[in-house]
Amino acid sequence: MDVVQINLPLPILSEGWAAEKDFQPIGHLSRAIDRNIEPVGPHFLAHARRKRHKRTFSEDDR
Amino acid sequence: MSEQQAPAERVAIGISFGNSYSSIAFTSGEGKAEVIANEDGDRQIPSMLSYVEGEELHGQQAKAQLVRNPRNTVAYFRDFIGQEFKSIDPTPAHQSAHPAQHDSTIAFNIRDTEEDKQNAVSISDITARHLKRLRTSASDYLGKDVNAAVITVPTNFSDAQKEALVKSAKEAGLEVLQLISEPVSAVLAYDARPEAKLADKIVVVADLGGTRSDIAVIASRGGIYTILATHHDYEVSGFQLDQVLMDYFAKEFLKKNKSAGDPRENERALAKLKLESEAVKKSLSIGTTANFSVESLVNGIDFQATINRTRYELLANKQIGAFVRLVTHAVEKADLDPLDISEVILAGGNAHTPKIASAIGNAFPESTQVIAPTTFPKAINPSELPVRGAAIQASLIQEFELEDIQQSTHPMVTVTPHLSHAVGVLCISDDESRGVFHAIVDAETPLPVRRTAIIATPKEGGDVLIKLAEGARHIKVTKPEPKPKQEKSKSDSDDDSDDDSEEEEEELREKTWKIGKVLSEAALRGVKKGAKVEVQINIGADLSVNAIFREQGGKGGVRGILQASAQAPNGSA
Ligand SMILES: Nc1ncnc2c1ncn2[C@@H]1O[C@H](COP(=O)(O)OP(=O)(O)OP(=O)(O)O)[C@@H](O)[C@H]1O
Ligand SMILES: [Mg+2]
Repeated sequence: MDVVQINLPLPILSEGWAAEKDFQPIGHLSRAIDRNIEPVGPHFLAHARRKRHKRTFSEDDR
Repeated sequence: MSEQQAPAERVAIGISFGNSYSSIAFTSGEGKAEVIANEDGDRQIPSMLSYVEGEELHGQQAKAQLVRNPRNTVAYFRDFIGQEFKSIDPTPAHQSAHPAQHDSTIAFNIRDTEEDKQNAVSISDITARHLKRLRTSASDYLGKDVNAAVITVPTNFSDAQKEALVKSAKEAGLEVLQLISEPVSAVLAYDARPEAKLADKIVVVADLGGTRSDIAVIASRGGIYTILATHHDYEVSGFQLDQVLMDYFAKEFLKKNKSAGDPRENERALAKLKLESEAVKKSLSIGTTANFSVESLVNGIDFQATINRTRYELLANKQIGAFVRLVTHAVEKADLDPLDISEVILAGGNAHTPKIASAIGNAFPESTQVIAPTTFPKAINPSELPVRGAAIQASLIQEFELEDIQQSTHPMVTVTPHLSHAVGVLCISDDESRGVFHAIVDAETPLPVRRTAIIATPKEGGDVLIKLAEGARHIKVTKPEPKPKQEKSKSDSDDDSDDDSEEEEEELREKTWKIGKVLSEAALRGVKKGAKVEVQINIGADLSVNAIFREQGGKGGVRGILQASAQAPNGSA
């Protein structure tokens, strides 16, 4: 997958912002929707392999 | 008869099997799909069989028999496979052998042997015979005995239809490695090209065939495809375009031959009229004029005429509008806006028609690319899209055990949670008080997913805030400035502003984002001047988020983990 290029700049950190290890969790993702992916093409095969062998993307990269 | 093949002994091809035409293709050693011409030199092989004195004719040769020998010619039968007689629409087979009820299945009563008697040949036998001819053509071309195939089917083919097709294929000596859906196969044909770039996009495939039109709206996310909506129509099709020309030429014939009968009222004349009209329609896709020429159309009278493309487009205006509506309707069915559609891939034979491609283009904004021969120079022949995808899929899976393939296509593997909202970052806009959302992972992306973004930083660098949030796509509509009214005074114009609305200029529609739930904040400190920030987001199938924020090229960075919310439906945590 190509990297997403974003040309608008990030905001400056406001003074006094603090969080443990500089990360502050705030919310959760909304519910997902179950859908059927089409069992076609090389990227599906990679997905199926990961799912069936319970592998992650980085394990797959190795 | 071939049983299940050991993968090493497989010779696999792709087959597209339509009601009107079928095609065969294989993937070469270099991974390139090639469509095979049969012994008549055809790559679009009419899905027809005809019997003359016990001899079986296939493809174009069978199609020619629609004039002389229609009752022993079986045509337009693909959709009958695996169906009960009472649930089929026999209309497309009106001018060829009629389907009839036969036990619990459908058969054609044809004289298929030398003997002077009719036999009931079941739909599954007809299908097997047709597939066998395709297999033989492919074997002859490749010089190897073809014994396996990936076959394309419409998205609304039922399990019974699929089962029946697999069975007939087996009788024809073909092990079906997989049935794949036609529109997805078309997308794969494009994505498999060496120059193709993986992207997140919404693609509409409009497959405009002879007896039916099938539209699919597909989310393509990093090369994985999810069908969001489909729409099928059996009225708006190539047959209707043929009919426009048949009516035109029949009327022209009657003008010149006042005392002769209407060629549409005589079975044989009608068959000739239809064959030649289809040929004229195809010619008009390339040329701006075409000749119609039939010997002995009615009462031994030869008939010749010409038509130009503009005339044809005018005559078919209504039908062309109907094709456009099928496509926009499918987009609505998916709850999407034309602005959401990156590409419209036109597939099926009628996609060659220039006016159909341009009319569909006009229904979409400029940001939508319509991929058809006349709108995109590197378009793949739309008639060959499904078969190319099938051949590519065949090459991808031919080395797997059948059981392996079946396991991978099982709902256990294919049913997947998809993001309901886009996930992205907030950047700064002109309005300092509000951020602008920029998506990194789009909605409708199957999980798990990993995506990376590279983001600009303030001019001077320094400490930056990275806020992850959900975003909802929003269509912003800007009404044009009302035109100053000349004849009317201001007080009047308020009352009848409704009446004037039709005259208004087109409104401006744009795709924007509404910021949804904020997910997290992270700080990256001391970012160098001019540096960029890299954000990598990993979202698990359980909706957990694992993010890494770092200066591009830098080490370390900040890591953050968001647990899935407790009530998340797919949570396994
Ligand atoms: N060059 C062309 N220009 C215009 N129309 C064409 C061209 N080539 C084929 N067609 C038309 O396309 C239709 C056939 O489409 P296709 O090959 O996709 O068939 P199919 O999938 O078997 O169709 P179906 O199952 O809907 O009957 C026919 O109406 C045919 O006349
Ligand atoms: Mg078709």
